[in-house]
Amino acid sequence: MMYTLYLERNSLLHRLDPRVKIIGSFFGVVVLILFNSPVLLASLFLLIVLTLVILGKITLKEVFKVLKPLIPISVIAMIIWPFILKPWYFGLFIGFGYGIRLLSVALLTLGLIMTTPQRDLILGFIKMGMPYEIGLTLTIALRYIPTLYMLTQTIMDAQKSRGLELERGNFIQKAKNTIPVLIPLIIASIKTAHELSIALESRAFGASKRRTFLHNIKMEMKDYIVLGISLASFLFAVYMRYFLGIGYIKLF
Amino acid sequence: MIKVRNLWHIYEGKKEALRGVNLTFGNEIIALVGPNGSGKTTLAKHLNGLLKPTKGEVIVDGMDTRKHSVAELARIVGYVFQNPEHMFFEENVFKEVAFGPRNLGLSEREVEERVEWALRQVNLEGYEDRSPYSLSGGEKQRLAIACILAMKPKYIILDEPTTGLDEKNTERVKEVIRKLYKEGHGILLITHEMELVLELAERVVLLYRGKKAFDGDVEEFFGLDLREYDLDRPRLLTISKEAGLGFVRSVEEFLNALGMRT
Repeated sequence: MMYTLYLERNSLLHRLDPRVKIIGSFFGVVVLILFNSPVLLASLFLLIVLTLVILGKITLKEVFKVLKPLIPISVIAMIIWPFILKPWYFGLFIGFGYGIRLLSVALLTLGLIMTTPQRDLILGFIKMGMPYEIGLTLTIALRYIPTLYMLTQTIMDAQKSRGLELERGNFIQKAKNTIPVLIPLIIASIKTAHELSIALESRAFGASKRRTFLHNIKMEMKDYIVLGISLASFLFAVYMRYFLGIGYIKLF
Repeated sequence: MIKVRNLWHIYEGKKEALRGVNLTFGNEIIALVGPNGSGKTTLAKHLNGLLKPTKGEVIVDGMDTRKHSVAELARIVGYVFQNPEHMFFEENVFKEVAFGPRNLGLSEREVEERVEWALRQVNLEGYEDRSPYSLSGGEKQRLAIACILAMKPKYIILDEPTTGLDEKNTERVKEVIRKLYKEGHGILLITHEMELVLELAERVVLLYRGKKAFDGDVEEFFGLDLREYDLDRPRLLTISKEAGLGFVRSVEEFLNALGMRT
């Protein structure tokens, strides 16, 4: 069972300040939405893959692994276009672009998660102005995914031991079969949340308005350089699209 | 009879939780002991088919657990989980106990009879309309036992049934276990409490790092050097030994041996 997408490596992308990576990914997503030329989108996709592989030391196999579940959706996006746009081969061409765009946006955000430890990612968001409470909530939520998964397994085992057959019956019956699992799970979750809040308060959570961090992040020269490059590329892309009119095909 | 033959279990191709365990048991009280991570729960989960062997086999009254579903095996092997709250979902005690027998497809009359019988066995008569979650810790534990009992399984696995219970409730759970044993159930007791082992078990199976390290009579078990297995001998036994009184199973026996009881 894989609980986190983060891959421990020693690479430039991994060492980069999370804020730079967050801003860079955001620019990337905007750029991907600016253009619809399939050739350009395919090039951008390749660029993202190469960045992850070369600068992030992520293998092609790992890239494929995270994209695999999204392939059916992007294929659907692709084959819908020939029905809307005539002639069909032009539609397929444009559809190919949209399919690639979907994968690119996904890979960009997944790449961010794959190269940034959860703690740094949330710290990055907090440093950029997200309220600390939301950051903590996110951390806790992510922290409890494996715990709740294990708890679900235990409850399912307990109910199976009482003769519950989760797979029995039609669609409605199957939905009903989940009730004996869901109710103990919800009650246990509420209890855990309640205990957690008591634990937080007993450790004086919220006592001071301004928080310091045990683990801190600091922008270095390389971070400013990468940030500068991302900003320049972003401005160039906007210039290309709106002043030179490259990369956008008017469809209707 | 439950027969476990050369049982291996490997979790997700990595951790070897069980490494060639053999075990045969019938109508007896067996204590399954061992330090955390020794494979006790993994072994117990094989007995009603929740886990399937990686290698070897488990035969429950002639049924191979690999060929039968947990629901089928639940008629023969009951499994009381450690935390009772992991099974409670109905609005009242009656419905909670009735869930198992209903899954077995029994008639409503028979279900009712079984619920009454099971609640009587654990001294919870009169609790039918209470919410399971409103009960005390000890009552919850006994209700959990009743839920399994109502399915009338021949063998009952109890996973740490007295953990977190006070003296009085521990005593009640012990009574229930003794009663069930006398009525012909086979009991497998998973526990860390050596006092409980001493008082209840006839036979002790000790697991250590996925292997059976000991299988035999309770007196012989407490003759082992238990510290080797990260376990401790009950104080009572140590005192009794120091006093030169030999093996006793309860304070009462100890006092009798001392000659302080008239």
